[in-house]
Amino acid sequence: MRTWNFRMAAAMFALGVIALSAIASAEVRAQAPAVDPAATQILKRMTDYLGGLQQFSVRTHNTYEDMLASGHRVDIDLMADVIISRPNKLFAERKGDLVDQVFYYDGKTLTLYNPSDKVYAREPVPGTFEGVFKFMYQSFGFIVPVSDLVYRDAFPLLMQDVTYAVLVGKSIIGGVRCDHLLFSRPGVDFQVWVSDGGQPLPRKYVVTDTGSPALLSAISVMSDWNVAPAVADARFTFVPPQGVQQITFLPLGTGSGSGR
Amino acid sequence: MKTMLKISVVASALALMLIADIPLLSEQLVPEAHAILGVRRRTAVVAGATVHAADEAQISASQQQAAAANQQAAAAKQQAADAEKQAAAAKQQAAAAPPAPPPAASGKPLPLGTVVSTLPAGCTSTPVGGVDYFYCGGNFYRAAFQGSNLVYVTAQPK
Repeated sequence: MRTWNFRMAAAMFALGVIALSAIASAEVRAQAPAVDPAATQILKRMTDYLGGLQQFSVRTHNTYEDMLASGHRVDIDLMADVIISRPNKLFAERKGDLVDQVFYYDGKTLTLYNPSDKVYAREPVPGTFEGVFKFMYQSFGFIVPVSDLVYRDAFPLLMQDVTYAVLVGKSIIGGVRCDHLLFSRPGVDFQVWVSDGGQPLPRKYVVTDTGSPALLSAISVMSDWNVAPAVADARFTFVPPQGVQQITFLPLGTGSGSGR
Repeated sequence: MKTMLKISVVASALALMLIADIPLLSEQLVPEAHAILGVRRRTAVVAGATVHAADEAQISASQQQAAAANQQAAAAKQQAADAEKQAAAAKQQAAAAPPAPPPAASGKPLPLGTVVSTLPAGCTSTPVGGVDYFYCGGNFYRAAFQGSNLVYVTAQPK
């Protein structure tokens, strides 16, 4: 009986030690600098700069880490050319393994065009970028490309719920010296590389889903920045070529339950 | 010895609380991960069906996890499993594997407004009133965008 008691006590003590060390390590983590102002300042400088640009164009190379049904990791690549003209004109062309799509918004009408399928859909949505993004998402589940770059006030959006921010160091992206920033919020970690001299433009984004064990990321490398492109307004208006069919956007919730 | 026992009991209780907290925590965090600028939005920004499908698979996986942890009703699990099945189907199609024949292949007419991500094999293009319909298996389909994905919807030609 005595031995049993002793063993029991020893086992519980061991458990207790484990528990205490868990608490102790949690405390150490909590003491680490949570949000480094050096990192948030650089992010703010970037978003302010982007928000202040009247026109810009950029090429993005995007890689999406994916998981096949077989459980194997695979990357899906996609290139997007984007032209923005504030306050409300946007052109984006996306090409990749699975996508061949052009997006137009001229401040009045939004058009989505799939050249290889010879179909397009258009929707009259007057207003600002922010209004259009919201309307398209809520009505059709459509997410306008590069919304993050276009939001005039992206900083609070990016910083929302951020619990950790750090300036990782310097890095070279596409031949440009950058500050490498890391931010963490519940379920998502994101890294941003910002040119460290002259124009504080983003050169690379990595967004990691930390909410699932696979830790999959979306990676976007930006190149060919032009902060004063010569763009005619006609570029933002779609003129349907011969033999192209007009189709519609399905309202959200249509045909639920079958092959999305 | 008695004091030590007491301490260790308290400490183990704390350890249990820490462990017990984890599923609850993850359940709260999961929706947020996709709600905001998160991966869901970002992947959906540019990519088509595949990335979207992967995303959904992730969501459903974590839902399943949370459901199991909380021993919730089987309904939630069923939902997650459905979403996963759906995601897997979309992925299969996106990965350019031979598409699984939609129910239409059986020749039974589908309810109007049924959405499929690929046309069944052997559809023929049939213009009606300037609109291209695709006819096969007793159904007319028309093309439409669901989000940024091109899909086909069963319809009655007008």
